[in-house]
Amino acid sequence: MPNPTALTPYPATITKIDVEAGDTKTFTVVFDDPEIMENFGNQPGQVCMLSAFGEGESTISITSSPTRGKFLEFCVRRVGRLTSVLHQMEVGQKIGVRGPYGNGFPYEMMKGKDLFFIGGGSALAPIRSLIDYVLSDQYRSDYGRVEILYGARSMDDVLFKSDLAERWPAIQNTKIYTTIDRPEEGWNGHVGFVPPFIEEVAPTPENKIVILAGPPILIKLGLAVMEKLGFKDEQIITTLEMRMKCCLGKCGRCNVGSKFICVDGPVFSLAQLKEMPPEY
Amino acid sequence: MESRVVNKGQISELLDKLAKDYNLFAPVKDETMTLFRRVSGAQDVLLDYNNSDISPKGCFLPQNEKTFSYMYTGDSLEINKPEGAQKTVLFGARPCDIKAVLTFDPVFEGVKFGDEYYSSKRENSIIIGLSCTKVLSTCFCYAMGGGPCDITGSDLLLTEIGDKYYVEVITEKGQALVDAYSQIFAKQDTAQLAKDKDELAKKLSGEFVRKVDLTGVKELMDNNFELPYWSGDDQKKCISCGICTYVCPTCHCFDIFDYTTGDFTGDRIRCWDSCMYPEYTLEAGGHNPRPTRKERIRNRFMHKIKYHLDRYNMVGCVGCGRCVIKCPVNIDITKIINDLKEVAQNA
Repeated sequence: MPNPTALTPYPATITKIDVEAGDTKTFTVVFDDPEIMENFGNQPGQVCMLSAFGEGESTISITSSPTRGKFLEFCVRRVGRLTSVLHQMEVGQKIGVRGPYGNGFPYEMMKGKDLFFIGGGSALAPIRSLIDYVLSDQYRSDYGRVEILYGARSMDDVLFKSDLAERWPAIQNTKIYTTIDRPEEGWNGHVGFVPPFIEEVAPTPENKIVILAGPPILIKLGLAVMEKLGFKDEQIITTLEMRMKCCLGKCGRCNVGSKFICVDGPVFSLAQLKEMPPEY
Repeated sequence: MESRVVNKGQISELLDKLAKDYNLFAPVKDETMTLFRRVSGAQDVLLDYNNSDISPKGCFLPQNEKTFSYMYTGDSLEINKPEGAQKTVLFGARPCDIKAVLTFDPVFEGVKFGDEYYSSKRENSIIIGLSCTKVLSTCFCYAMGGGPCDITGSDLLLTEIGDKYYVEVITEKGQALVDAYSQIFAKQDTAQLAKDKDELAKKLSGEFVRKVDLTGVKELMDNNFELPYWSGDDQKKCISCGICTYVCPTCHCFDIFDYTTGDFTGDRIRCWDSCMYPEYTLEAGGHNPRPTRKERIRNRFMHKIKYHLDRYNMVGCVGCGRCVIKCPVNIDITKIINDLKEVAQNA
């Protein structure tokens, strides 16, 4: 549902806060007007502008899948001014939300295929909306095997711990790989950076789509690994982020060449990325 | 298309009437510069000017604009939006600046997302253009598809000829205005004035000093994002002051912030921003996709001569020459266009 009020957010209430890591929280948010909640129509991979009144707005991806219910989840790392204000908020407090914005993941094109998700750091947040969409009871049979490779700096930085350890592995035909950057006491999984770990797991390109999200360095190195493994540009999907103010394709700052990440993205295939200047 | 005549002696009467019936924006002389402001009558208006220092873009995209006000206590929230725009006349804008407004239209009146603040002002405004009578050494509107007497985008265009203004009625809005003030916009034989205007346009078109040719530049840039040219001495001069974007009539980038008064209430404001500032694309996490002046300069000029064309099929420059005049280190878009053509052809 395109927001007819453009720059004006809808009032919404924080109904739940989960602490994911020392600097990261997931906020569950519900619009005060049930009709807006009902018709919001967010798609996996889309984003919203969150308002903390008195501080301003920031672009935050919707980490929940619409299949999970009539609420929105935003996973927010405390890095700047607005996110610091959000982190001080409590259940019951009001924020402003406008959206949903962006193109979202091409989940129709992915039907009948195996999916290999790669996430680094807080970038598990934007792809989690698609993971939960394809793993939902409603759509699980439309997709093949689902594998998720996730890397974090340390054990504490691992997001969505229960999803990775319990909820997703319990669903049929899934496989989860996790890694942390350096060895730590109590960690029995893989240790090392994400790009070499992808090479080690070595997914094969047959009938597979890769969804890759991470900081710019991971995207650049990860894309190189996928190409080496024989994946074609059309099989690799990623989601970008840049600073945004309006999210409507007007304020100017999120352009990469002639494209605006906010309205033409944030989701691009590697084939599309190669048509754009490397300025993200 | 109808045309009328206004005697110079009646222009004050016209401006006074417009100021009474509309919000009238017109060129004024401030202490040090010419710019467009809301005026209360003819006495404030500067009619004899070449090109204002600041373009009239603020008439449609104010430098600071409240998008809404809020009352927020943590667990209660109330949002109030301002009323729509009032009836406005923009008087005396030059053809290049009016063409610049047309480059705003597809940005703010996009298919997917409109902009009620912009549209409301645009719909409620009448633009009365004023043909140029001189060409400055920095002008190059002809190279961007415009001209000193171009009617494009105006509702009415006035051209000063002798002791008269020749008035071309271009749109229905313009027609309604001349009909409403028919005692000032006289119906006369305008054949000679039309001929005089053509001659003026012809004379002025021969007076441009700067030779700029945009032909093929976009196509050359399509496949030449990386050019050593962008790291050249010319570009290193930039001091990221942002004046080029401030005076540019087609620059529309904005920031959004909250102005809070500390008592639970505040306003959300959008204000002009500049792609030449390092913070413009700086992300909270520290990453900056355009970290140095090289990337920022490239982005600004590519936006003008390629990106805006790619997206909206319009050049993002109207050749007003303001950035050429105001740049403190003499970065010159006409030189850059000519250089790029040469560099890309040899790349």
